[in-house]
Amino acid sequence: MERFRKLLEDPHRYAKEWKEKTGGRVIGYFSHYFPEEIAYAAGILPVSIFSKPDIEGISQRYLYSAFCPYSLGVLAQGLKGEYDYLDGIVHVESCMPIRGAVANWWDRLPVSFKHYIAMPSQLDEPSAKDLMYSELTAFKRYIEDWTGKAITEKDLDHAIEVYNTNRTLMRQVYELRRLDNPVVSGMEAMEMVLTSQIIDKEEHNKLLKEALNEISQRGDTENTGPRLMLLGSEISDTSLVELIESAGAVIVIDALCNGRNYFWNNVLPMDDRMLALAFRYLDKPRSPVKDESYRRRVNEIVATAIDYNVQGVVYAIHRFCIPHQQDRPPIEKAFKQRVIPLHAIEYDGTIPEGEYLTRIEAFIEIINIPTSVKV
Amino acid sequence: MTAEYWKWPESEWASKEVDCKKASIIVAGVDVGAISSKAAIMCDGELAAYSVVYNDSDSETCAQKALDKALKAAGIEKSDVKKIVSTGYGRANTSFADKTATELSCHARGAQYIYGPSVRTLLDVGGQDTKAMSIDQYGNVTAFIMNDKCAAGTGRGIETFADMVSVPIQDIGELSMDVEEDPEPVSSTCITYANSMAAQLMRKEEKNRVLAAYCFSVAWRDYILLMRLANQSGNGKVEEDLALTGGVVKNTGIASRLERELGIKALPVMKGDPQAAGAIGAAILAADMAASGN
Repeated sequence: MERFRKLLEDPHRYAKEWKEKTGGRVIGYFSHYFPEEIAYAAGILPVSIFSKPDIEGISQRYLYSAFCPYSLGVLAQGLKGEYDYLDGIVHVESCMPIRGAVANWWDRLPVSFKHYIAMPSQLDEPSAKDLMYSELTAFKRYIEDWTGKAITEKDLDHAIEVYNTNRTLMRQVYELRRLDNPVVSGMEAMEMVLTSQIIDKEEHNKLLKEALNEISQRGDTENTGPRLMLLGSEISDTSLVELIESAGAVIVIDALCNGRNYFWNNVLPMDDRMLALAFRYLDKPRSPVKDESYRRRVNEIVATAIDYNVQGVVYAIHRFCIPHQQDRPPIEKAFKQRVIPLHAIEYDGTIPEGEYLTRIEAFIEIINIPTSVKV
Repeated sequence: MTAEYWKWPESEWASKEVDCKKASIIVAGVDVGAISSKAAIMCDGELAAYSVVYNDSDSETCAQKALDKALKAAGIEKSDVKKIVSTGYGRANTSFADKTATELSCHARGAQYIYGPSVRTLLDVGGQDTKAMSIDQYGNVTAFIMNDKCAAGTGRGIETFADMVSVPIQDIGELSMDVEEDPEPVSSTCITYANSMAAQLMRKEEKNRVLAAYCFSVAWRDYILLMRLANQSGNGKVEEDLALTGGVVKNTGIASRLERELGIKALPVMKGDPQAAGAIGAAILAADMAASGN
């Protein structure tokens, strides 16, 4: 467990060392619809670009200050040279602020590979599969041109196997959180899922196996507080989770794009590997920006909350995050109908500890009101 | 030395009816807020004394100062107090407390003491933040909404405004009512915008109209918060009975405009002080502790 924490303390160190050791290339990505397997099959290390609050406001020279703190933060990271080890940047169509951040990154920072994947927005439309397929095929071709090496079916099979193993192991970790007395804290789970996005998955698989073995030796844990779901905008570190759990609650499940949604479904075997990948990314638990036609996300989130016997939901949304704000009314309504308390926090990326601790403690007090008293 | 218009009066109060010397259970509550600390002493379930003091940078000493003043007003020693509960942002730094509780639950309990058990909606406007709460008949908070980061509309915001317009903070509300018709409110989204708009208004409007515009903007912000709570927890209507706590609600210019916008009259104070509601609620929780033997 300690290893995951150490990796997150400096999320760049691993990729830098990996590059030095292997001489390989590193691609950074912004959206978790990025088909990592294709890059991995070409011997590239894909890393998720994490955000940090842009306290100095340096990205506001290029982006509107009314963009979400996540997009401002990722661009600031780039401008400050935190990601100067990246050889390539890939953007998968998501929201406008991230698109603005990427466009500025591409314009102002030297990377030899820049690529845009036109991920469909209407995932249930018949055309989505064809578009996704053609975009992934094109991406594979561009990667091959860039590296000068053909990606074989064997390469793809290996990548898919490594990634599916990682997803299966992460599912096992999340299954342990479903228990009445979860043996894995939300903090630990978040450390695992975030580190999976910044290191070689094969190595992460080894770490996960060791962690699962360590967890299996555990007896009773102290994770006995109210069971919460964490929902909302992407997070790039564990500070919010840590604060929530420090108040005595335990986060048993999340529905974050770079949390559960990142690994929840596997690539199913098909003769046409690119088609299999296309289906995997189309079938992921929906992000709000990809859920505009049939609104499948709300029911899926509520069903997951019920499945994990959630007693309350913390809904943490970045300020000015339009996709999540758009999602908010139906999600709040759905939880209200099921009498599951929800507390929404709108934040700018920083965590004002005193205020948020009060909020979470008060929320726990509400959850702990005896059922006989609740009318 | 320039005048400190922001400076509200520190206070202490002691009941003439309650005799702590004859009480069987004496408890205390301390609310260490963002800009002030409050302490309340309760004897056998009745408020005996309270104090309100300024904060400095040390929560522990401020809490102690408030408690000492309240103890002195009540005519007792700390050793007479059976249990102490602390609340507020500085609650974790009160080593003398037996327990801590959030200011939301303390204000809820305190409000039902001050305004009566019929309180179902509570607005607490404190030094740093504003909280709208739904409360059940037992004094439990069943839903709440808080303002985000910006201090617009909170005590700290009004303090800076008082200095800017050079009007003593305790006079702002009353003077703001001395207008024939309310002007448009200044911006309520940001303390800097609000003060900047008020500064512009000062050049062309009478001072009382600027005060009115400012109080209206604070009331409007509170109104929006209460409506959000109503949408979240109820049917879109603010549930009566409504109570107001926190130092800011003593400003009649804000409270009356809020009532006007809501179309609801807030409950009148029956006993105690709305500014000390958190401390009173903490004392009630301390009494619960003492009664249950915890």
